[in-house]
Amino acid sequence: MNANVPDSKKISPFLVFFLIHTMQTGVGILGFQRFIAKTAGYDAWMSIILSGLVVHILLWMMFKMLKIANGDMTSIHTLILGKKIGKILSSLFILYFSLYTVTILRSYIEVIQVWMFPELKTFWFALAFLILVIYIVFGGFRTVAGIAFFSIVLPFYIAVLFIITIQYSDFTNLLPIFDHSVKEILLGSRDMTFTVLGFETLLFFYPFIQNPEKSKKWAHLGALYTTMICIYLAILAFGFFSEAQLQKNLWPTLTMWKIIKLPFVERFEYIGIANWGIVILPNLCICLWCASRLAKRIFSIRQKTSIPVIATLCLIATSLLSTRDQINIVTDFTAKVGFYFNTIYIPLLFAGTLIAKKVRNRETHS
Amino acid sequence: MFNFFKNSEKESLDKILAKSADFKCLEYYNNKSNISFTLKFLATLVDEKTIQDSVLPYLLEGNFKQIEDVKQIVPLPDIKLSEDISQIEDMIFNGSVLLTVNGKDNKFCFLGAKKEIGRNISLPEVEFSVIGPKESFVESLDQNLNLIRKRIPVKELVIEKKTVGTLSKTKVAILYIDGITNTENVNTVRQRIEGIEFDEITDSSYIVQIISDNQNSPFPQLLDTERPDRISAILAEGKVAIFVDGSPHALIGPTTLVEFFSSFEDYYLNWILSSFFRLIRLFAVVFSILVTPVYVATLSYHYELIPQDLMSTLVASRRAIPFPPILEALFLELTIELLREAGARLPTKVGQTIGIVGGIVIGTASVEAGLTSNILLIFIALAALASFTTPVYRIGNTIRLLRFPFLLFAEVWGLLGIIVCFCFLLTHLIRLTSLGRPYLEPLYPPRMQDLKDAFIRLSFDKQRKRPFLLNTKEPYRFPKKAKKEKKDIEDE
Repeated sequence: MNANVPDSKKISPFLVFFLIHTMQTGVGILGFQRFIAKTAGYDAWMSIILSGLVVHILLWMMFKMLKIANGDMTSIHTLILGKKIGKILSSLFILYFSLYTVTILRSYIEVIQVWMFPELKTFWFALAFLILVIYIVFGGFRTVAGIAFFSIVLPFYIAVLFIITIQYSDFTNLLPIFDHSVKEILLGSRDMTFTVLGFETLLFFYPFIQNPEKSKKWAHLGALYTTMICIYLAILAFGFFSEAQLQKNLWPTLTMWKIIKLPFVERFEYIGIANWGIVILPNLCICLWCASRLAKRIFSIRQKTSIPVIATLCLIATSLLSTRDQINIVTDFTAKVGFYFNTIYIPLLFAGTLIAKKVRNRETHS
Repeated sequence: MFNFFKNSEKESLDKILAKSADFKCLEYYNNKSNISFTLKFLATLVDEKTIQDSVLPYLLEGNFKQIEDVKQIVPLPDIKLSEDISQIEDMIFNGSVLLTVNGKDNKFCFLGAKKEIGRNISLPEVEFSVIGPKESFVESLDQNLNLIRKRIPVKELVIEKKTVGTLSKTKVAILYIDGITNTENVNTVRQRIEGIEFDEITDSSYIVQIISDNQNSPFPQLLDTERPDRISAILAEGKVAIFVDGSPHALIGPTTLVEFFSSFEDYYLNWILSSFFRLIRLFAVVFSILVTPVYVATLSYHYELIPQDLMSTLVASRRAIPFPPILEALFLELTIELLREAGARLPTKVGQTIGIVGGIVIGTASVEAGLTSNILLIFIALAALASFTTPVYRIGNTIRLLRFPFLLFAEVWGLLGIIVCFCFLLTHLIRLTSLGRPYLEPLYPPRMQDLKDAFIRLSFDKQRKRPFLLNTKEPYRFPKKAKKEKKDIEDE
């Protein structure tokens, strides 16, 4: 199997903006303020900027690697480690993305169960949602990108509506600046990184971009936009809650919605949470798509077979997670894996790619 | 094309035709040149007055010695000499008279004397507009093509003809402008029409369904219109039009979802007005699909969502109602659907009575009887009204249908269900194509350029570029104007 993708199945470079941004925003953004404020207090907005910078550096590395390997993650692995070990390492990512799918789906269902429907049956809702995801992924990557696009354009009004909370906020909460040590801010940015993970999917859909050189700009803009949204939401939450209040709040973003009142809508969070379904939908699609694409690249399994199989496994795993503690364990585990993958494995891989390129060059020259 | 009538090879054409009462085989004798000849035709297809006035007198009294003379002596425009026997069947069924000189069977002649029966060009009924031309297509292909030729009198307008249907032998014309329309689109249309395998094509609606990209979609994937002005406008844009003989509706492709919500009158109004009306129509569609599902969702699950003042109104209207919101909504929706179905099949005068009986009597009575709440009745009536605002009838039907899955999802999971159903719809639309081009364009793939004539319509000087969707050979509609220096207020 090679990475060649027919031109008609590729997407325009600027859609990468939406793909990167949508993967970074998911359920995490509903409650990240608490985590970062835990260590960095109300200086945590600096942590967000720091972690944003890290994302940009990682993105730069990824593009560099992908250009050298001229393919996707499996090509990079093959380039550095050879076919066999490369395949084994790549196949681990099928597990990673399946786990990712389960985490996203289960934590969204948890939000629904806590805020909207205490009696919602995890299995049935997950089933309906996964059928939807399968329907999307069967449409190919273009359809997945389309859903990513709409998932940002359609719920945009929510971001604007947050302005209503400003009149209830006190932004002097943010002062004084720099009353936390550098170490605390760095720790805060580590916690922040959990929220903005997901851009590593670039390593897998890269061959599907028309003119990948042009997409660089859009990928970075997407990451920048995520950072801006996070700062916006964090500053709003810091102004809205006192530090002690914030620590008791699992989902500060959701709680802020409660203050929004329109003439015909009393409790906006219902609309918000329902709408969040659109926001997390592309994350599931991209994860499932990546997993099935990997299966195709490594084991040459038809995507039409692997997608239903992976989805069924995810459905079983999702329904098995029932208590808050279990969900927490899985979420933390996924976040850790993602964190280490992004901050340690990718730089290592980057170094490996550069060395491999040098070695190749020398071989061809001599 | 496969042949249905296996025995027709064996029996001669004459013998088979002789079974029909309208087949005429008449022998004549010209005294002047001592020649006897035969006319064979189908009386139902041929205008006998033409034969009487402009064929027979000349053949009987003219200088008619051999078959080649016919062209000189008979004053008809459509005369064709031939030796090819295989043509006979086609020509006779197209309203020609077969002329043979007795004794010399190898050569014969076709005289065109087709009888034209059909209605005259009339007002557009489905796509009526107050401003603009008032003619609409009729069932005759030639008349329809004439209407288009008159509007685009250039040599680049190509009319390709095909015949489809093993029994109906329906004539289908493909229209496009050479040098503008993308050849790929024309080829797709041509291939699909040639690929049609069906016996009886009675209307263009058959063709839409057969050549659609996805036959299992409730969305029409080709636009149909009865307005010649619309057809000429889309031809100029670079689209392909398909005409079907016997159908007063021409087809347009490739099309997009947004196009179904644009009325052609939009182009006759100032761009600010037409943009406003388009937005209203769009709102109407969303409202029409979502209002009852949202009602069911909020009243079944999320009554906290409604502010207190509004809640008391709602509760008061629902207090005496014994059914859950979903049954109430389904009952009313079905009533409206029944009224529409009943009204659609009835003559206009009876239809009005149905409207009164349905709208006023059933509506008021069911509220007074305590079966439904009057607020829901208002919503349903508004939703029905809103669904009538769609300028293309076909998409209105789709919207009627869409409401029901939304209702069911709303009943199961409330607002969340509506979002899930919406996502299914969105995915379906993203995946849908019209002649291989994305159906949801310019929304997805997002193309800013094509938004100039989608939800709003910008003024004509902004419409210089042809739609990007069509990938036309000539992307500009008119040359760029030289940039004028911007005048100040008092400048001349």
